[in-house]
This record gives sequence, structure tokens and C-alpha cells, in this order.
Amino acid sequence: MTGRYETDFENAWCPGCGNFGILNAVTMALEATGREKHEIVLVSGIGQAAKLPHSVDVNVFNGLHGRALPAAAGIKMANPGLTVIVTSGDGDIYGEGGNHFLHNIRRNVDIALFVHDNQVYGLTKGQPSPTASAGWTGSLQRSGVISGPFPPLAVALALGCGFVARGYAADPAFTSDLMLQAIRFPGFALVDILQPCVTFNKKNTYQWYGKMVQKLPPDHDVTDREKAMTLALEWEERIPLGVLYRREKPTFEQLHPQVPGLPLGERETPEEAVRALLLRRRAVPG
Amino acid sequence: MGIDVNIRVTGGAGQGVHTVSNLIMRMVAGAGYRFHVTQDYVSRIRGGRNSQGIRIGSEPVRAGREEADVLLALNPDLLPDYLPAVGEGGFALADVPSADPPLFRAPLKEMAVQAGSPILANVAGTGAIACALGIPLEIADAVFASDFKGDFVEKNRAALRLGADWAKENLPEKIRERFRLPARSHSRPIILSGNEALALGAIAGGCKFAAGYPMTPGTGILSVLANEGPSVGLVFEQAEDEIAALTMAIGASYTGARTIVATSGGGFALMVEALSLAGMMETPVVIVVAMRPGPATGMPTRTEQGDLEFVLSAGHGEFPRLVLAPGSPEEAFDLAQRAMDLAEEFQVPVILLTDQYLADTVVDIDPENLVVRPLRRHIVRGDSIPRTRQGKYLRHAYTESGISPMAVPGEPGITVVVDSDEHTEDGHLSEDHATRIRMVEKRLRKGVTLAGKTIPPLFTGPPNGDLVLIGFGSTKEVIEETRRILAREGRNVAAVHLRQVWPFPAEEIAGIVPRFGAALTVENNARGQLARVIRSECGVRIDGTVSRYDGLPFTPAALARDVRRRI
Ligand SMILES: Cc1ncc(C[n+]2csc(CCOP(=O)(O)OP(=O)(O)O)c2C)c(N)n1
Ligand SMILES: [Mg+2]
Repeated sequence: MTGRYETDFENAWCPGCGNFGILNAVTMALEATGREKHEIVLVSGIGQAAKLPHSVDVNVFNGLHGRALPAAAGIKMANPGLTVIVTSGDGDIYGEGGNHFLHNIRRNVDIALFVHDNQVYGLTKGQPSPTASAGWTGSLQRSGVISGPFPPLAVALALGCGFVARGYAADPAFTSDLMLQAIRFPGFALVDILQPCVTFNKKNTYQWYGKMVQKLPPDHDVTDREKAMTLALEWEERIPLGVLYRREKPTFEQLHPQVPGLPLGERETPEEAVRALLLRRRAVPG
Repeated sequence: MGIDVNIRVTGGAGQGVHTVSNLIMRMVAGAGYRFHVTQDYVSRIRGGRNSQGIRIGSEPVRAGREEADVLLALNPDLLPDYLPAVGEGGFALADVPSADPPLFRAPLKEMAVQAGSPILANVAGTGAIACALGIPLEIADAVFASDFKGDFVEKNRAALRLGADWAKENLPEKIRERFRLPARSHSRPIILSGNEALALGAIAGGCKFAAGYPMTPGTGILSVLANEGPSVGLVFEQAEDEIAALTMAIGASYTGARTIVATSGGGFALMVEALSLAGMMETPVVIVVAMRPGPATGMPTRTEQGDLEFVLSAGHGEFPRLVLAPGSPEEAFDLAQRAMDLAEEFQVPVILLTDQYLADTVVDIDPENLVVRPLRRHIVRGDSIPRTRQGKYLRHAYTESGISPMAVPGEPGITVVVDSDEHTEDGHLSEDHATRIRMVEKRLRKGVTLAGKTIPPLFTGPPNGDLVLIGFGSTKEVIEETRRILAREGRNVAAVHLRQVWPFPAEEIAGIVPRFGAALTVENNARGQLARVIRSECGVRIDGTVSRYDGLPFTPAALARDVRRRI
């Protein structure tokens, strides 16, 4: 299925795992970008979701649990010509990496972020992730989760994220289109992807999602932030899919005076420039 | 020994102690003299107790002195703390109702108001000191003209002159005679603090990306990188925390930039996870740990060398690292350049270990003496990127040296894959035990290669004798002056300064120590951490440690006293 991006990596996902649909969507989106393999970097943290980049034949930075975003930001700042995509788990991005999620939205680096939202820590075998519903019983919460769920899309909107969308692992073609839009969006773009976990999440199943998800109508006004906020918080009756909000603003790379230009690794340091910095510190002015 | 005058300026935060020392440094340099400034400040914005020691000489001055010849107390309430340290024949100035020598009543406030602004009491005091030293005021005028705008320039000039005139009339001739600095021709030195020198060294070493989260005493490095970096295309970003700072740097480094982060012990504690990541991914990165007393928040603005063992062992898992410990601003400039280069050559994290004392030490330097090394890049590009028969690039290819040719993303025809998990040569995650063994050995082999390129310790004094003093980092110059004091007393003492503490220069130290009757380490910590490292790394006898852990740096006279007691 992964076509020209195929690798022989064995990802060890459970049969029926939502990650297969997400992998499909990612490769279709990459194909559609028209970018060469060497121009793309897939960045992830740690978890079952975070293994995805190994199945795609592009540049890969599979870093630490929770730390995908700062690594991706550093990569993008060092070479804005690269297409930088983060694809990782909900525990990784919203839990361990929550602070980086908040601040990279504020920073507005041109990164597309795909979050595999299965409401669970899959790799560590079934603890609730920050998006788990209250009352959910995990292996460490026998009497149910007490904390309320983290609302990723609402948080992103509150922080001024310019592209906020929700996809669904069981609909790769649709999700792939959201991903492509996110990649093309100039600035930080979030696609939260509903991902059934066939092993640990017995509530949010394919059947359950099948009844709950509802694609936004074509006439949805993607520039209406208040409407987007209302949609972002919907969960009990129906779960809206699609681009909830889209509005461009200058990116970090455009605003940072030193980022535009050659990739950092190719910039020179002329000795005269260093000497000039030293001589600016003359004890006696003039 | 020539001229040796020590001026202490003290006041609350916000009273302009810094301005006084800045003006005195410049006037003294203009008069052809050398200086060394140490800063002792409090962790607050207003009030409290700040002081700076400006030690002036005709030869390069490289350590401070506790005893003051001249004291300017901008806040008279601090006199009980500082007046007792005024030495024989010295004098003190403060705005007090009445005074007896060595204290003189200087109407600083009155002069400031007369000059046009009550906040210029510090400048009036500076004028009085300049008069006592007999140095021309014109250089201060040039500083005012470049730093200030409008009539504030004139007010500063007036305050300076009122202070100088007051001193001429009110300080006894004998005192002014005693401290007069005879006219000398001057070179054109630059002024550098340890932090500035380190940051400029990093820039000279080709650094193009810096990130950090403010923490004293490392913040000064970030501020030089942020403000001076743009002229060489360096990107600085303030991170949301230290975890992000180092992780961003590693991302930028993976992409080919030379990178640096700077913090203190507490921030480094947060970076430790990413330090281990750099070890696993074999990403070059330079990490400045400017130490301050711990544990926890400790004493934010004071000095200590308590994190040596921490930086040597920080990071889960086993991986090679390089730890360099500059002993002066000049050395900070040099070692920061080398750190940038060595990090990339060996693809290891390099820690530059400094402390508040060195960070805030300010000296005059002849810029001609600062060597800017030619940049050598170690990243492979284009056709020089090795590929397998299938055309694949292997980021972690097994090699004899343990160093795999490093390419960066963006090269047509190849992809660069790195993983925090154990991985195969191509960077992909692997749980294979045989692969694990080969990768562990490859990384450790790199450490052996690195150890073959040790920056050797510096040795001064007789080749053998009664005592050798061993230190690392910021104690270098204090130990050296102490050694000279003891040598003048006829004692056979040598000194060793470790610029590189890891890989530990075991051969060198094992060769030196047995030639002396006794060996002591000199350490700004309580537990003698360097002594422990020496014992475990080269098995030689260390007879003890001269420790200081009150939050303040060593000074030569006091250290000499301590050492005499130990012989
Ligand atoms: C610092 C750290 N803490 C904990 C872990 C263990 N750990 C690995 S993956 C994971 C959770 C993964 O959850 P998520 O990101 O949602 O990914 P999923 O497996 O559900 O796809 C945890 C807790 C780790 N690797 N590193
Ligand atoms: Mg998950």
C-alpha cells in the first residue's frame, strides 16, 4: 500500500489497528505533495504511533517520548526548505509533550502535526491518555479515570492555531486530504486523528465511531473561530470531522530575522565578522 | 610586583555598582593599566547587597583580592560588612553624616543633585576614585556620549567632575600620592567577561543555532548569542523549557547546524534526557553548564563547582561525552571554539563546565592574543556521502574509529534516519541483540578515539617538589597566583589546571602526582569531587582537598593561607 515510500520495517501493530489507516493516509498525502523523499522529514516521539516514520522511506527523526515537536521545530528552523511533519501518539503529544504542544502552536513554526488519538497509551499496554474520557478504566485506574479529558482542538484554537482539523483512521482518503492541506498550510497545522485501538479501547471502537462521526458540510465557514470552538468541543452527540478552522498568519520562519536564507549548516563564519564582534568591546570607545 | 590596587564598590541592587566598575575599567585601561573584576551580587532587582572588586595592575591581573585599598559604599548601611576589609593605608568613601579615617564623608547625593540628577551619586563616587588614582576623566566622557542621550550626558560629566573636585580638596595628599597610577602608554584592549568570551568563542566556532531558557549564571551567554549572533546568521530561540532547548538544538544539529545551549545545574537536570538522546543519535551539540551552588535553587547568583560528578555521569545509558572546563575568559573563548569543532568531529555532546565566578569575571584582553581557529566542517555532502551497493546511506555505519560519516537531510538521493531506540546501521529501530552489541561497541569505540585527542592539563612550577595543587575550570588563575605567592616564600609548589575533565587525562595526572611529596585538589565544593575522580580514574594518591563552599570564589591570599596550613 505504501508504494514508493515502502520500507521493509516491521511495525508490530495489532491487526485492525487504526495506525494502518493513518499510515495509508500519510503516504497518500506525501505522494500528493510532489516533494522528493529527501525533502521530507518525518518526526515522532515514542509509542506505537511514533513507529510510523520507520515505515516511510523519507528522512526520519524518531526521538524521545513527548519530544517530537521541539526536535521538529529545530529541524525546520535549521532548514525551512524541508517539509517537516510530526506524526505521533496522543500520549506523546498531549501528555508527556503537552508543554511543547502549547508553545509550538504559539511559535507557529511551519510544521504539520498528525496526532494518532486512540485515548490510550498503547505501547505501555493500556493506560489512559490525556484524551481518555473520565470513568474509563485503565490498567492503572481500576476504579476509573478521575481527570477530565484534554480537548486538543479547543486548546489549539484557544492558542490561535491557524489550521485545526480532525480526521478518522478508518477513512484514509478523507484523512489524507486533511493531511495534505495541513502540509501545504503555511504555519503550525494540527490534524487530530480518531484512531480505534482494537486491543485496549473497548469503548471508542470502529462501530462506535461509525455512529458518531459526521463530516462538516461544504458550507462550513473555516474562518469562524467561535463556531470552530463549538465544533471542537462536541463529543457526546456527534464528532465533527474535517477542517474546523483555517486562517493564515505570518510563520515563525517568516518573522524570525535570521531564519530566512541558507540552511544554517551551510552558512559561513568569516573571521572578520568574529574580529568585528571582539573589537566592538574595546575598553576605550572610538 | 608593580602596581596592585584593589577597589571595592558596594551598594544595593539598582544603585549603579555596575556603572562604577564599568567606568573605572575603561578609565584604567585608557591609562594603560590592566584589571580583573569580580562580581558578587544578589538574586533580586532592588536593594540587598551587591559588590564588585576591581583589581588593577601594571601586568595582566587574573584573580581578585579580598583586602580593599579603596572602598566606595553607595549604601552606607553596608559599611559594617565591608569597612573591616579595607587594608592598611587604604580609604573608604560613603555618604555618612560624619566619619573618621580610613572612612571619609563624601556628599555623593548632594553632588549628584547639583549635577542635575540624584541617581548620579555613583558617578560622583567614580569621579572621586578617578581623582585618587590620578587617571584622566575624558575616557568616561566618551562612554557617557556613547551610552546616553540628551542632557544626561552632560549631567554625568558634571557629576564625575564634582566627585573628582571634591576628592582633590578633601582627600589627604598622602592618600592621593599613594594610589596615583603613573602615566603609561596603553595598547587598545577589549573587555570580556567569561560568559561573553565563551559565547563569542562559540560564534567563532561556527555556531549557528542556540536555544535556552534563562537561568543565572548561564543567561549572559544566551544574551550574547541572541544579540551578537545575527551578524553571522545565528538563529536564537528562547525555548519553553530546558528540555525543549536541548531537543531543539539536537533537531537543528541533525539538520547540519552547529548548536549550543546554555544553562545552570537546575536547567541541565532537565536537559539530561536529551543529553542521552544526543549520545544515542550521535548528534553533535555543545551544552554550557554554568554552575551555581545547589542543591535545587541553591544560591542563584553565587558560585560553586558542585556539579562536576553530575555532568560526568548525567544521562541514562553509556555513551561518550567530552567535558571541557575553561579557566579564564581567554580559555573560554578558545575552548568554546574547540567544543564546536570536536562535537561535530566526534558526533558527541560536549559540555562546557563553568561557574558564576568565571561567568561574571571581567578582564582586559589584547584582542591580538585571541586566536580564531580556521573552521573545519566534518559533515559529508554530495558525492562524498558513502552509499551501500543499493545506494543507501547508513547514518550509523560501523567504522574502526566508531565515527560514522555524518550526512544531513536534504541531500538528493539519500535519506537520513535516526532513532532514540537502539538501531541498525541505517538508523532504523532494532531489538536484535547482536546489533545491540555491535552498536554499543561502536559508540564506546568513538569514546576511545576521542580520548586519544585529549586537551592536556596545564602544568606550572618545578618538575618535582613538595606539593602539587590540582584544580579544574575557574580556579586556574587563583591557583596559579597562589603558587607564585608560595614560590616566593621558597616553597616547592607546582600547579595543574585541567581544561579537559572528560575523557579524564589519566596518563598525564598519573605522571605528575608521584613526583610531588603531596597532592591537593583545590575545589569550590564540599566533597572534593575532582579528588574522587582522580583517585578512581588513575589510582594515584590525593592527600586531600582545599574546599570552599560558602558560595564565593577562592582568592589567592586566602588560598595560600589554607595551603600553608596543610603543608
Ligand atoms: C520518558 C518516558 N516515559 C515513559 C515512557 C514509556 N512510554 C513509551 S510510549 C508511552 C505512551 C505512548 O502512548 P501514545 O503516545 O498515545 O502512543 P500509542 O502507543 O498509544 O500509539 C509511554 C508512557 C518513555 N518511553 N519515556
Ligand atoms: Mg495513544
